[in-house]
Amino acid sequence: MPTVPILMPQLGESIAEATVVRLGIAVGDAVRADQEIIEVETNKAIMGVTTLCHGIVSEIRAQEGVSYSVGTLLGLLEVTPEEVARTGMDTLESLEEKRAATHHSACPSRAEANLHFALDDNDAYEEAPAVVPNIKGLPVPAGTMGAHYISPRMRARMVDLGLREADISAVAGTGAGGRVTVEDLERFLEYLDSWPSTHASSMRLAVADAMRRSWTRPLATVGLPAVLDRVLDHRRGHTPKPGLTLYLLRAFALALMENPTTAGYLIGDKVVHPRSFDIGVAVQIEDGVVVPVLRKLDQKKLSELVGEYDDLVSRARRRRLTEADCHGGIATVTNFGTFGLTLGTPIPLPNETLILGIGAGVKKPVWSTQVEAFLPAIVADIFLTFDHRVVDGGGAGVLLARVAELLQHPDSL
Amino acid sequence: MPSFADGAVTHRDFLRSAFQSMLRARILENKLSSLYKAGKIVGGVYLGRGQEAVSATLGTALIQGQDVFAPLIRDQAGRTAFGESLLDCTRTYLGSLQGPMRGRDGNIHRGRPAEGIPAMISHLGSQVSVVAGMLFARRLQGKLDGCVGATCIGDGASSTGAFHEGINLAAVEKLPLVLVIGNNQFAYSTPNRRQFACADLVERARGYGIEGFAVDGTDLLACASVITEAIRRARAGHGPQMIVARLLRLSGHGEHDDAFYVPQNIRNDHYGRDCMEVATRQLVEHQMVTSEEIHAWNDQFADEVQRAVAQAQQEAPPDPYHEDWTALSTRFPLPLRTSSPSTVRQPAAQPVCS
Amino acid sequence: MSVTYIDAIREAQETLLRDDPRVFLYGQDIATFGGAFKATKGLAELFPGRVFDSPISEDAMIGLAVGAAIEGLRPIVEMQFADFSSIAFNQIVNQAATHFYRTGIPIPITVRLPSGGTVGSGPFHSQSMEGIYAQYPGLVVLTPATVSDAYHMLIDAVALDDPVIFCEHKFLYRWLKAKSINGDLLPIGQARIIRPGKHATVVAYSAMVHEAVRAADHLQHDGWEIEVVDLRSVKPLDINTVLASVARTGRLLAVGEAFPWGGVTAEVVSRVTEEGFHLLDAPPQRLNARDTPVPYHPKLWAAHRPTPESICQALRKLLAF
Repeated sequence: MPTVPILMPQLGESIAEATVVRLGIAVGDAVRADQEIIEVETNKAIMGVTTLCHGIVSEIRAQEGVSYSVGTLLGLLEVTPEEVARTGMDTLESLEEKRAATHHSACPSRAEANLHFALDDNDAYEEAPAVVPNIKGLPVPAGTMGAHYISPRMRARMVDLGLREADISAVAGTGAGGRVTVEDLERFLEYLDSWPSTHASSMRLAVADAMRRSWTRPLATVGLPAVLDRVLDHRRGHTPKPGLTLYLLRAFALALMENPTTAGYLIGDKVVHPRSFDIGVAVQIEDGVVVPVLRKLDQKKLSELVGEYDDLVSRARRRRLTEADCHGGIATVTNFGTFGLTLGTPIPLPNETLILGIGAGVKKPVWSTQVEAFLPAIVADIFLTFDHRVVDGGGAGVLLARVAELLQHPDSL
Repeated sequence: MPSFADGAVTHRDFLRSAFQSMLRARILENKLSSLYKAGKIVGGVYLGRGQEAVSATLGTALIQGQDVFAPLIRDQAGRTAFGESLLDCTRTYLGSLQGPMRGRDGNIHRGRPAEGIPAMISHLGSQVSVVAGMLFARRLQGKLDGCVGATCIGDGASSTGAFHEGINLAAVEKLPLVLVIGNNQFAYSTPNRRQFACADLVERARGYGIEGFAVDGTDLLACASVITEAIRRARAGHGPQMIVARLLRLSGHGEHDDAFYVPQNIRNDHYGRDCMEVATRQLVEHQMVTSEEIHAWNDQFADEVQRAVAQAQQEAPPDPYHEDWTALSTRFPLPLRTSSPSTVRQPAAQPVCS
Repeated sequence: MSVTYIDAIREAQETLLRDDPRVFLYGQDIATFGGAFKATKGLAELFPGRVFDSPISEDAMIGLAVGAAIEGLRPIVEMQFADFSSIAFNQIVNQAATHFYRTGIPIPITVRLPSGGTVGSGPFHSQSMEGIYAQYPGLVVLTPATVSDAYHMLIDAVALDDPVIFCEHKFLYRWLKAKSINGDLLPIGQARIIRPGKHATVVAYSAMVHEAVRAADHLQHDGWEIEVVDLRSVKPLDINTVLASVARTGRLLAVGEAFPWGGVTAEVVSRVTEEGFHLLDAPPQRLNARDTPVPYHPKLWAAHRPTPESICQALRKLLAF
């Protein structure tokens, strides 16, 4: 037999709930249409809840003295199909059908096709937790005016032209606080048109983008000389010869392993630590630089790494690296000494805190305390550029000195 | 349609018709209350229990299709008598898309303005000038002859500025406006003594320069004679008519209100009697109806009401995803024009204003 | 020969009474007396039984108009001053404005509001109510700024099936003159670029259009080209024309004579920020009356409302950003 719900009515415009004062019915009772069966009390009045059709009470869910929100199911009536037809009342079964029928319509979760005004629990609002005023974490720019400030229109125009903030650093602003206005930009672009220009390669643009992003951080560089004779001797004794950079990679990995926080990456109030000692090597190619990554440098001996290293460098030069080859490094090593340079301040990748560079080896007299005389030695300066937010000069110095020291024991590498 | 006013309907027919409307309204309103208390109606249910004699008399005496009737919240009997269908009521209360308000407004805020039944707003007193405007327009169009416009109002609404402005304007324009004040002694919970200071609201008629009548609103025979006379005078060109019917609201302000504030002595006094019982006794005594007839009508109307409820209950509610969310009938943007919409006449050589 | 703004309004009403038998005029002192501003001068004689003096009952005046509109007429109601329409507020926003939505029967009434400040008018004869009415659904709110618009928009207002709040500016009544009432054929709801420019956009309406044009003329000496948009209709708001202008200039100043909290200028700035954020090269600005009642003394009054000087100042600030 069809089941008709007995609901808590909304007895007043601002009434959300009412208390059952007296249940005038018991399970098994026959009730008439329009009979007041439950007495409820709101803060305004005592009222009766009625039933809308003849039927037999099959279930009572309400208890005396308890408050129920509007729309709560207080009980159920069993009603004949003829009575349902006569009164046009919805039954639990017909409601279910209507819910199912409207479930996939435009209407989100509130399936109440023909409930008219029957409310359910989903209609109730929960009071939101109080918000504690807090400026912590808000993106507060260093300056809202001046060259730092880019108006919405300026931003839109720059996106239009594919320009980055770095691109407009050359533009002198005439706006408030010296900000660059759209007019300033347009004038600058017009001026540029009078110069010869070519299109930058996508490799060039990729490097430019990485460097620009990295340069948003406070970077500092420290350096010291390292004697390379033992490394070079060691290298000559092996076939195939390990690249000089590989010694550096291995020494760098071991030094970092001893003090891994140095390679941490600062995000907001969090330092992200290395998961694995994977270090990249900068390889100069046509119109750019790529950085393939050698894996687990702390766990592999130098001799085991030669093949991996040579393969990566060779593929890099032939532009055959995959995305995975360049992914997940914690630091980078760059050997700008191959260009004959003795001094440099390399820039770490935007997602790394450290880059270790090495200049060209030069034969120099080095004072030997053992023989109390200057002896000739191959010396190269090594440099460490670091994100000063994460590492300080002292920490960087310790790390760099440890690398130089490890290079004196190539057998242990 | 034949009417009592033009003599085509006898006194007996008129009273039987008014009584039927009272009974139909009472049964309908009991059902509305029941629907409300079963959670099928939200917002509120406002009953005219105890005011049926006044309202039904007015609705019966007015001529549908010719007169204007602006009912207020306790005029189910008048609406029924004037010809509003039971479905208009149940569809509006139950939010059916088929109803005159299409779920956009509910309960007693319904009407069919194009058929002479303005749809009331909640701001009391504001319908008086609207009815005056409808009559004013008919006079301008030369269509006023024989028409009246009636509106009902409570003792509480008589305190509003709109009420005063409206009657005064109708009086100035000498419009055939019939204003029925159902003084049911309580505006929500506020008793007469906190509402006005004059002995009887009918005294105000003199101040407005209009004709006023007082009547016992619980007495169908008295209502019939006074209200039909007021309407006759309005039709005959005597200007606005004010009728103050004394009675008691036999329900709360709405069905959420148990009217605990109405003292027992007021419930027990003369005006606390139920106009339905009085009318039944009067008509049976005067042999205008029999108990058997009343019994049969009871069954018939209960069945009509049940069918109107069942139908509205099963009709589609409005769909917010297909609702036309505009309050304007004009669809903007308007197309660009190529020629002027009306003849542009240059002002006279001499500017009218200097 | 020249035509003033009030001539145009009177002329439009004469045209309407002549061409449309559904039109009648209702208001205080508008029949024999011809209206407090003579906007209906002579019309009662020309059209006997079509122009009526009403009692001082603003609420009932609108109620009557709504009733007449239900019956198929097209009443034009004159509020003696826009300020007094506050008495009719209920009938306007609750009766007239909700009627079509609720019942499907439109209410074609036109409520004329002599609006805005004039010297010495003080707190209760100077108000600008357009923002308040525009806030309510179901109303069209018009603010003509030119003689031609005063004429054509009033004709159009009466032709609309919806209730129209027609805000006429009292200062323009006699101050504004034109050679004729001929104008363009812009429909209701379309804004007009009254002065082209490229450095900043001023959005204004009603009398403020003229103040903005003066400010723009002034800044022209310094090489600034200011675009002035006359909204004409504040509701519906022609945001497309405004956005197109801001797209050209990148800078927005919205000027209104109403009180500063919310209102038309706030709506313009809000809509431009919402829909045209990427067009803005400077924070959008608003300039309104001050947040006090409209003062009586001419010196206070002149400093209360936006003037060409204060508009210039606001524009210079905007242009310097």
